[in-house]
Amino acid sequence: MNPALRRMKDLPSTHLLGAGSAMCAGCGGLLALHEIYDLLGARTVFVNAASCMTLLASYPFTPFRGSWLYTAMASAPAGAQGVRDALDILIGQGRLPPEEDLTAVALTGDGAATGIGLSATSGAIDRGLDFIYLCYDNEGYGNTGQQSSPATPLGARTATSGGAHGHAASKKDLFAIWVAHRPVYAATVVGADPLDLARKIDKARALTGPRLIHALAPCPPGWSFDPAEAVEIGRLAVKTGVWPLKEYVDGKVVHTHVPHPRLPVEEYLKRQGRFRHLFEPERDVQVLARIQSQVDAYWAEVCA
Amino acid sequence: MYRIRLHGRGGQGIKTGSRILGSAFFGAGFEVQDAPVYGAERRGASMAAHVRAARSPIRERGVITRPDLVALADETLLQVPAANVLSGVGPDSVLLLHGNGDAETWRARLAFSGTVVVLPAAGEHAEAELGGARCAGAAARLAGVISRQQLMAAIAQELASLGPSATETTTAQALAAYDAVARHAGVLRESRPAAAVAFAAPEWIDLPLESARIAAPDIFAAATSVEMRTGLWRTMRPEIDYAHCNRCAWICSTLCPDSAIRVLADRSPEIDLEHCKGCMICVSVCPPHAIRALPERAARARELAAAP
Ligand SMILES: Cc1ncc(C[n+]2csc(CCOP(=O)(O)OP(=O)(O)O)c2C)c(N)n1
Ligand code: SF4
Ligand code: SF4
Ligand code: SF4
Ligand SMILES: [Mg+2]
Repeated sequence: MNPALRRMKDLPSTHLLGAGSAMCAGCGGLLALHEIYDLLGARTVFVNAASCMTLLASYPFTPFRGSWLYTAMASAPAGAQGVRDALDILIGQGRLPPEEDLTAVALTGDGAATGIGLSATSGAIDRGLDFIYLCYDNEGYGNTGQQSSPATPLGARTATSGGAHGHAASKKDLFAIWVAHRPVYAATVVGADPLDLARKIDKARALTGPRLIHALAPCPPGWSFDPAEAVEIGRLAVKTGVWPLKEYVDGKVVHTHVPHPRLPVEEYLKRQGRFRHLFEPERDVQVLARIQSQVDAYWAEVCA
Repeated sequence: MYRIRLHGRGGQGIKTGSRILGSAFFGAGFEVQDAPVYGAERRGASMAAHVRAARSPIRERGVITRPDLVALADETLLQVPAANVLSGVGPDSVLLLHGNGDAETWRARLAFSGTVVVLPAAGEHAEAELGGARCAGAAARLAGVISRQQLMAAIAQELASLGPSATETTTAQALAAYDAVARHAGVLRESRPAAAVAFAAPEWIDLPLESARIAAPDIFAAATSVEMRTGLWRTMRPEIDYAHCNRCAWICSTLCPDSAIRVLADRSPEIDLEHCKGCMICVSVCPPHAIRALPERAARARELAAAP
């Protein structure tokens, strides 16, 4: 661990990401990005697949101090490859001094990361592309009105999962998909735990090769909660064990925080309108039990 | 035809209001179009939605440029030029204002030649969030062709998926608004469909062919987003009580998603009100509770009172 990142006091006190972006008030994705950008620094090129974050940079306004490039939803890793190759060629030909090199960061939502962009991602990891993939996970297609994505959790109501029991499938495990590719690094983070996030970004930054940063992004309109609660919801996701904080490095998965005592998942669920139907007008005992038992099973394996 | 434009902020239910109004007209036997303006529908950001209702098929399309009624859920938007609240109004237009003050003062202040109807807002937070539904209820009464039952049926239909409690509160608010403007029933009149011959072409600007370096939408400067004054989105304002702030380790500054809290050299936090969107995260995370939430309306009134 970087000894310089021990306490909150060690985090940057000036912020690189410009104010005035068009993201919602209280956006958990923006929170993570603003913390991450401070550590990655301005020498980054963000390759952004169509998503909420597309609204960050809309001509002539950008919150970034470096480059940002827009790609189609499936193509951010391919865009990052192009940027990386161009930089390598320029440096190789002596047209760009090596100290002016940039880090290519694919920036996408969960819809692109776990769905339509997965094949491009898999290929990029196979090729050993030197890039960071930053997925902010608001568990749905946020930009188009929160339809279900493969990352939508069991029981959540979205624009396309109505019905009495909410979303019928369970969340696709992006971290495990990455780990199966044996990348250089993969980590889960949440903006509500800035210190854990900073240590992981610091680690990822120093490595070369394909790296995943998967950030849980509490989304006030999509999850229907008051924006003031965005940090608390992120903390509860960790404390209830719904969002494990972990990293994959040197071929091993390590949990950077094991919640103890672990709160019941209901503490997390009941704060969000997208799960309200599990509590009103009657408790949906079955779905609540299924959600809890999935989380219990996960931690039973971790702690075995 | 009735041409109605609803304006408000994301989170006030403007889109829902337009759907309620559209369905209510439909229930009253009208042909209807209703649509929100697609854009960054962010909480607090300026929003608009359009409703057309007519007794014969509607051939007009697109945004309403000459509204018969502008229903404004949030009077503070009048200070936001980009919201274009009053664009296209004329002496025959009606402005329904969900806010405070009296109609004559507003007419004078806005130099508005049409009719102003004020729908008093109690200024409470919960009520503000139903501004769209309140405007829909009042607009239904101003048109004078929609009954209470038709309004209630439209709400039940539009909010069915949100459950009985949402339907109940919305209905109560919409009906209260419907009753509050009773003495103005019928003030909104149908206007004639626009004739094609009367169409005035917009003033196009011809752009010369430029090189890609100039014509491509590339941004060559850093952090230009600060030119966007997202502070105008705010309905609540955070205020630091420096006597209680213990200059912790800039927790508020790290957790503000919008980079709107700066840490000064003496380690004090400072809120950038030009950009703070009013999410109130800082209020809820400050360990000694040194940041309080103040309604933006009250904060502005206080500033105005203090100005020389
Ligand atoms: C191929 C394709 N299909 C659909 C869309 C429309 N679209 C734009 S953003 C978006 C949602 C993306 O979801 P996600 O990746 O999770 O990002 P979020 O919007 O949640 O930030 C969709 C469906 C598109 N741009 N391209
Ligand atoms: S919809 Fe959700 S993820 Fe998208 S900008 Fe708003 S808060 Fe952020
Ligand atoms: S979080 Fe509270 S105590 Fe800490 S710097 Fe901010 S206002 Fe002061
Ligand atoms: S309310 Fe606080 S946390 Fe939210 S944008 Fe304003 S300063 Fe930042
Ligand atoms: Mg998403």
